[in-house]
Amino acid sequence: MEKLYTLVENFTTYPGVSGFEDSAFDGLRAYVETLGIFDEMGTTSVGSFYAIMRCGKANAPLVLCDAHLDTIGFVVTELCEGGFLRVANIGGIAAKILPATDVLIFGKKTIRGIFASKPPHLQEPGESEKKMEVTELFIDTGLPLDELKKIVRVGTPCAFPCRLTKLLGENLAGAGFDDRLCGASIVRALQMLDKSKLNVDVAFQFSGGEEIGYKGAMTTAYRLNPDKAIVIDVTHAFVPGAPKTREGVRAGNGGDICLSPQTNRAWTKYAISVAEREGIPYQLSAAPGRTGTNSNAVQTAGSGIPTFLVSIPLKNMHTMSEIVDMNDALNTSRLVAAVLQSL
Amino acid sequence: MMKYLKKYCDILGPSGMEDAVREAIIEDIKGSGCEYETDPMGNLIVFKKGKQRRDKKVLFSAHMDEVGFMVKFIDEEGYIWFDAVGGIDRRVVSGRRVLFCESGINGVVASKAIHMQTPEEKGKCEPISEMRIDIGAKDREEAKQYITVGDCCVFTPNYEEFGNGLVCSKALDDRFGCAALVAMINSDLEYDTYFAFNTCEEIGCDGAKEVAHRLRPDIVFALEATTAGDILGVPKGKCACSVGSGAVLSIMDRSTIYDQSLLELATKVADEKKIKWQYKNVVAGGNEAGVYQRGANGAKVLAISAPARYIHSQSNVLSLEDIQAVADLAAAINERSFN
Repeated sequence: MEKLYTLVENFTTYPGVSGFEDSAFDGLRAYVETLGIFDEMGTTSVGSFYAIMRCGKANAPLVLCDAHLDTIGFVVTELCEGGFLRVANIGGIAAKILPATDVLIFGKKTIRGIFASKPPHLQEPGESEKKMEVTELFIDTGLPLDELKKIVRVGTPCAFPCRLTKLLGENLAGAGFDDRLCGASIVRALQMLDKSKLNVDVAFQFSGGEEIGYKGAMTTAYRLNPDKAIVIDVTHAFVPGAPKTREGVRAGNGGDICLSPQTNRAWTKYAISVAEREGIPYQLSAAPGRTGTNSNAVQTAGSGIPTFLVSIPLKNMHTMSEIVDMNDALNTSRLVAAVLQSL
Repeated sequence: MMKYLKKYCDILGPSGMEDAVREAIIEDIKGSGCEYETDPMGNLIVFKKGKQRRDKKVLFSAHMDEVGFMVKFIDEEGYIWFDAVGGIDRRVVSGRRVLFCESGINGVVASKAIHMQTPEEKGKCEPISEMRIDIGAKDREEAKQYITVGDCCVFTPNYEEFGNGLVCSKALDDRFGCAALVAMINSDLEYDTYFAFNTCEEIGCDGAKEVAHRLRPDIVFALEATTAGDILGVPKGKCACSVGSGAVLSIMDRSTIYDQSLLELATKVADEKKIKWQYKNVVAGGNEAGVYQRGANGAKVLAISAPARYIHSQSNVLSLEDIQAVADLAAAINERSFN
C-alpha cells in the first residue's frame, strides 16, 4: 500500500490538462525511469506516453494496460484589466466548486490564481440560488496586466493543484485522480509481477485526450498493436442523491469490472474468473451503451483488440477533492497483476 | 508583525472556539511587560503601560474568531450535515476541504460529480444546510467515533503568498488584525493603551459587547478586514475599496457613522507619515466599532481596515502592503495623547 501511495503522489504531480499533456512528459519519463521496471519508453504525437516491460521470452504476446494521462482543467481565453483571466473548462467542471478556489496557471512559469467570488454588497437578493457558468467566472492572479502578459497568453492551461489529504481508513482526497490514480494502479500491478513466470510483454500506456474524445488511446493502441488490452479508469462510487443503479458500486468494495458491448465479453469473464479464483474483491457494473472510457477506442483500434475495463470507484469526480478508497486502487492492481500473471 | 501572520492564520478558531488563537497570542505577548486577562466570554484584554499616562482610555480591538461550520447531524451513511458559523456564501463551500477543530479529522464537502447531476441541478448550488461533509467514514457508527453533533470545522489552512505581494488564507479576517495588535503590544508605547482580542465577531460581535461593558473605553479603533469589490467588471464606484490601495477608512457603514474627529485625525496622521490610505466608497458591511459606539457609556470609534477580496471563504486575499499600512497607521495614531 505504501508503494501505491508513493506512486499516486508522484503521478499527480505533473500537470497534463487534455490537449496540453506534453507538459507532463519530462517529469513522468524521469519518474517512470527511476522505477526500473520498464525496458522501453516512448511518446506519441497526440499526447501519450508509454512504457514496455518485456518478459524476455521470444514472440511473447503483448498486453496493453491503458490509463489516461490527461486531466480536467481550464484554458485561458482572455487576459483582462486588473490581472484577471477568463477561462473555459476542459472536461466537465461544475461552476459551483470554483469561487475562492485556487488553481495553478501553467504559463512561462507556474503561478497561482484564485477564482474570484462576488462580494456580498454586489449581490442581488437570491443571486446565490441562480445558475452559474464557468465562463462567467474569472481567475484573480494578483498581478498587473502588463506583468501577467509576460507569463500567460490565451491558450495557457490551468488546473487544480493536487493536495493529498488522508481521510478515515484508506480514504484519500486529491485532484486529478481521474485518471492518474489508475496509472499508479497499473504500475503497482506491474511491480507485483513475478517476471520469471511471466509469459507476456506488458505495455503501460498513459494516453492523452481522454476527456475530449479518446484520441490518445486510439492512436497509441494502433501504434503498439497489442494482442489484448486492459483499460483502467475511474467510475462514480455511490453517493447520496446518485441514480438508483449506482447503489451497486460502492467505495471500498474493490475494482468495478464493467460489462458492456464496448468491451470484450469473454476476456471480461476471464478477468472475473481470475478475481474469483484469487479471492480479490471486485464489483460489477453494466454499461449497455457507452462506457465513457477509453475501452471502445482501444478495442476498435487497428484490426481490433479484445479489451476489458476495470474502474476504481471515485467520489466527487472532476473536482479538486476527488475521494478514493485506496483499498480499491490496490485491489485493482492485484486484479490486473493476477490476470497478467495467469496468461 | 508578519512573523505572526501565517501562524495566526493557520490556527483553527471559529466563533465560540477561539481558545487556540488566544493561547498563541498570550504566548507571543507575555514577555512584553503587559498585563492581560481572559474574561468569562473568552475575550483577551491587554493593558500595556506607555511612557506617559493618558486621561482617556484608548482601546485597539481585533477579533480572534473566523467563519466556519458546525455539525448538526450524522446520517446512516456516515455523512456529516452541518451549517455555517458566520456568513458564508453557499457558492464557496461545495468540494472544499475542511479540518475539524476537536478531532483534527480532515473532511471534504461532498460534491456530486457533474456527470451525475440532473439538468435542474446543473449550474446550481444547494443551500449549505443541504450539503454534507465526507470524512471517509463507512457509516454513522464509524463517524461517531470521531465526530459529535456540535463539533466545528473550518476551511483547511492554506496560507500562501502569490501575485504581486498578495496573501491568501482562510482567516486573514481578522488574524491580520490580531497580528498587528500583537506587534503593537511588543513595541515601546508612548501612552498607556488597552487592547482587546475578541470572540464571536462573526455571529454578531458578541465578544466586543462584553469588552465594551468591562472596559468602558473612551476611544476605540477596530482593526478589521473589509470587503474589496475591485474585481473584473465592477465599476470603481461600487468597489467599496481596492486591494493594494492602502488602509481603508470609512465614513459610515451599516452599523456605524464613524467619529468625524477621529476620521480627520487618521487621515492627517496617514498623510503626515506617508501611509497609503483610501476611503471606503460604499455604505456596506459593519464591524465591532458599531458595538463599541453604543456599548456601555458609548465611545468614539473608528475602523482601520485592510481591503480583502473573497472574504469569508477559504481564500481571503489581502495585500501585505495594505496590512502593513493598517498596522503602521494604528501605531502612528497611538502616538497621540488624545488629551
